[in-house]
Amino acid sequence: MIRLSGVHKTFQVKDRKTRAWRRIEAVKDLSFGVEAGEIYGLLGPNGAGKSTTLRMIAGLMQPDLGRIEICGVGTQEQPERSRAMVGYLSTDLGVYTRFTPRELLRLFGEFQGVDARVAERRGMGLLERLQMKDFADIRMEGFSSGQKQKVSIARALLHDPRVVIFDEPTTGLDVLTAKTVLDLLRILKAEGRAVIVSTHVMPMVEDVCDRVGIIFDGVLHGDAPPSDMLARWRVHSLEEVFFRLAADAQEAG
Amino acid sequence: MRGVFLICKKEFLEFSKDKRTVFFTFFLPVLLYPMVFLLIAGLGQRDEAQRLGRPSRVSIVDPARVLAPGMRREPDTFQVVELAPGTARQALKERQVDLHVEVEPGAARKIEQQRPYLISVLVDDTEPSSELALGRFREAVRKLDEIQVQRRLAALHAEPELTEPSWTVTENVATAGLEAGKAVGSFLPYLLMLMMFQGAMQHGIYVTAGEKERGTLQTLLATRLPRNRIIWGKLIYIFVMGLVAALLNLASMGLSMAVVLGRAASQRTGAPAGASLDLSAMTSPGVLLLCFLLLVPLGLFFSSFILFMGVRARNTSEAGASLMPGMILIILLGAFSLAPGLERMPFLPYVPILNVSLAIRNLFGQRGDVVEYLVALVMTTGMSALMTWASARLLDRESALFRQG
Repeated sequence: MIRLSGVHKTFQVKDRKTRAWRRIEAVKDLSFGVEAGEIYGLLGPNGAGKSTTLRMIAGLMQPDLGRIEICGVGTQEQPERSRAMVGYLSTDLGVYTRFTPRELLRLFGEFQGVDARVAERRGMGLLERLQMKDFADIRMEGFSSGQKQKVSIARALLHDPRVVIFDEPTTGLDVLTAKTVLDLLRILKAEGRAVIVSTHVMPMVEDVCDRVGIIFDGVLHGDAPPSDMLARWRVHSLEEVFFRLAADAQEAG
Repeated sequence: MRGVFLICKKEFLEFSKDKRTVFFTFFLPVLLYPMVFLLIAGLGQRDEAQRLGRPSRVSIVDPARVLAPGMRREPDTFQVVELAPGTARQALKERQVDLHVEVEPGAARKIEQQRPYLISVLVDDTEPSSELALGRFREAVRKLDEIQVQRRLAALHAEPELTEPSWTVTENVATAGLEAGKAVGSFLPYLLMLMMFQGAMQHGIYVTAGEKERGTLQTLLATRLPRNRIIWGKLIYIFVMGLVAALLNLASMGLSMAVVLGRAASQRTGAPAGASLDLSAMTSPGVLLLCFLLLVPLGLFFSSFILFMGVRARNTSEAGASLMPGMILIILLGAFSLAPGLERMPFLPYVPILNVSLAIRNLFGQRGDVVEYLVALVMTTGMSALMTWASARLLDRESALFRQG
């Protein structure tokens, strides 16, 4: 469903001190795939290249080299078609706070080509699943970040996407809300969608992900089921794998 | 086109949800101008009535007693104030007197010799009461001079017409409508441009850099909507808001001014109030339509410029700061367009923005030139299309969302 082959991404950044432009390689020769009915966990520290990878899959960025396909459709060749198959949840919650959740979902349904009535029905179903139905007609200005996150999740899933990308979906959420999100991920998997999740929360990855990829400095280190990963590194938790990789990266750097 | 409509709908819906912004955009101008104009006019009229209702305070040094006795005989017009010698300037500054007059000591003798005598007047031009006093004084002197001349003519046994070798009769070929049209046409383009830009700017920033700042632009760009449709939807929204803001402001300002001027005119002439509200005498529906046709590409150009800068900026404050030079340029061009004799500069029809101003001015002055009009129309349309294309290209680049450096 999702296929990345030899993806490379660099950024030009300006050093404020020296006033010189520098090239930063955010993602280097990244290749992996996510199949239908699979949850793929993308792990890595801040600035490792996780969000850049997810943004490229969501069509918000284009790779400098390599190719990304969503259900066989190239993100560069047919950007609108590939975006239509993706439900993307960014780290910025990005909700229009002047609207109520119902209004927002109806609008985004229309943006995604879903009939307004169908969008509303689907949206209300999602809000119910996320325990937000009672807030459907309240303006989002006063919502907590958890409530906004839930509305954003509903917005991302509204058009019934075959591919779901959640960038740190449980950040800032309380334990109960985080559990609701994890349950939802399992449902999405059961529905046969391809799901990519980026996170720092290791127990969550071990719990819900079928496969994990760990990114350090834009390079993918390992791409395997969590249990295989633990066996290969002879450790008891993914956190230990993470620390080992961090130490290796520091030595290499 | 559906995508354009949907984005436009989203922007208007979002705008309508903020009652305060709706009030400040649409209702405040409608209420504000009548309130301000009526208040200023009321204060002005009260001040004028007070000034006209009391005699002017005049200090006079007239040893020959040529003018002073006559002024004292008119207590409703002049109140003669005694001042210590050498204090006249200070008294004028401190508004103890409105006018100071000095008549030369030998004035009476010179009148007898039929020679002119000198009157020196100290006046404060910045004070309306001082100007009024000067006017009253001149009228009094004119009447006195007229009596002197009549006496001299009578002594010579000459006809009173001796001093009037000719009579000049003038006829104004400009209608009141043309005069008003030229006056309005000189400042209307400036106001229109300024209000359109200013009206569009805040909404433009909100839907571009504001969306970026609030993190909503990402979610919008992650949908299946093509980027050019998003740009067009936002452009139409910004354009409509700018145009509506400009027209509302102008309509409110124009009506308030017309009511105030009409009231002032009716007080002076006794004509019924509202006599100066006749817009049809000033212009025709055709002129208004042609003006509107020019405003559409100009508004689109402003909107696409705001859109471009808004998309380029990282946040709302950067967008505001980067749009300020545009605002200043419009103020400068607008101020330049107010200058008289501009129509004689042959290169002006080819200067963007200024040519629109000139075309509107000429339309109101009933001197519309087809070629000039078309040049302005085509040039502005082209520029707005170019800027819109550039905005769509910019939004298509990831730097629009994730600008580095």
